[in-house]
Amino acid sequence: MKPINRENHQKLYMQLLSIIRMKIENGEWPVGTQIPTEDELCRIFSVSRATVRTAVLELVRQGYLKRQQGKGTFICKLDNSEGYRMSTNLRETFLENSLKTSSSVLAKTVMMPVDGFDDKLNITAEKHIIYIKRLYSFETEPTLLQEIYIPYHICPLLLEDDIEKNSLLDLFDKKYGIKISKVRNYMEIAKLSRSESRILNVSEDSSAILLLQYYYSGDMVIMYTRSVKNPDRVLFSMELERKNIL
Amino acid sequence: MKDFVFMKSANMNKGEIMPDTKVVKDIMVGIFEYPHVPYWFSVSQAIKIIKVSFLNTRKYPDPMAILVFDEKYNLMGALTLRDILRGLEPRFLKPSEKAQVPEEDESSLSIIWDTLFDKSSKEFADKPVSEIMTTAKHFVEPEDPLAKAAYLMLHHNLILLPVLENRKKFVGLVRMLEVFDEISSAFIKE
Repeated sequence: MKPINRENHQKLYMQLLSIIRMKIENGEWPVGTQIPTEDELCRIFSVSRATVRTAVLELVRQGYLKRQQGKGTFICKLDNSEGYRMSTNLRETFLENSLKTSSSVLAKTVMMPVDGFDDKLNITAEKHIIYIKRLYSFETEPTLLQEIYIPYHICPLLLEDDIEKNSLLDLFDKKYGIKISKVRNYMEIAKLSRSESRILNVSEDSSAILLLQYYYSGDMVIMYTRSVKNPDRVLFSMELERKNIL
Repeated sequence: MKDFVFMKSANMNKGEIMPDTKVVKDIMVGIFEYPHVPYWFSVSQAIKIIKVSFLNTRKYPDPMAILVFDEKYNLMGALTLRDILRGLEPRFLKPSEKAQVPEEDESSLSIIWDTLFDKSSKEFADKPVSEIMTTAKHFVEPEDPLAKAAYLMLHHNLILLPVLENRKKFVGLVRMLEVFDEISSAFIKE
């Protein structure tokens, strides 16, 4: 077994993480089995509890492990279709030239999660949600129309915030301490509705790129967004980077 | 003073029936007791909300209502079961222009179900709630005396009375239930 090397410049938890990940990937620790407890891991690798905890939490976040309350931590089946794990810098949209892009809030109000939004946000149908609709413009040209749905109980004070001046993601992270741990993105081509085409200033029945995003903090969906972008000169851009290539 | 009118009609001395300390904020309920919708929601969406929020959960607040807001989260009005049913009512069931409808005409009620969901009712279901809601016209402040709320509710036949802070921020609702409870308790007190 590859031991932890204290001379190595790499952080201890990263080393431990690589070792555990290797054990999972080469099948030494099979899917569905329970990994040793925190105490056992501390003993096996001669590291502190904090190091073990950080490594395990990161592997949970990466989808290798799953914690079950009161039972322990288990190896998850990895979905091969997910490919390499890469990271990106998260922005609220994928719009290129974000510096020249401005946003204006068309609506910020409260509604009920009717028509399936309860399922999307994983809440019961009688819970209130904050609804925000905003338009991004590139110079003066309407570019992207975004609708945002946030369970009200996640962040009640958000209604008072100025979200034209502040980034929603910054408010979550810095003001409310809600740490976004995962974002699932889906894209497809969709026909614009009459009101959407009017706002985006394109002819009715135009096709647009539809971007659906689920923002998670741990296992909880904290925000769902639906954005439509007219196919103009502004590109969607997303840079992915593979970290920790050994 | 307007709220004095209410006192007088109750034929009571102010000091006896209502201590000066009782104000609107003592009896108001939170706005999140009620479902919220923006004004562009359709009547059929509102019906779904009533089903999931009240009927399916067996919560029957009095009154059963949905609050309607504008795009800046200002209160516009409320939608009650009555507002919805009134719109679904087939034309022929609406009150006759004639003063008296003979008793036997009620037998025609048995045919409602065949004709209830006619074309005009379906069009109604697609209408925005703003077209059928009861508009909020009267407001009180949290520090207003309870009597003012009671007066407004009785004289304007309101089922809910919104409470605005500094005439702007919507912070609560006064309901007949709590008004009744407070006033009647004072009334029967020895």
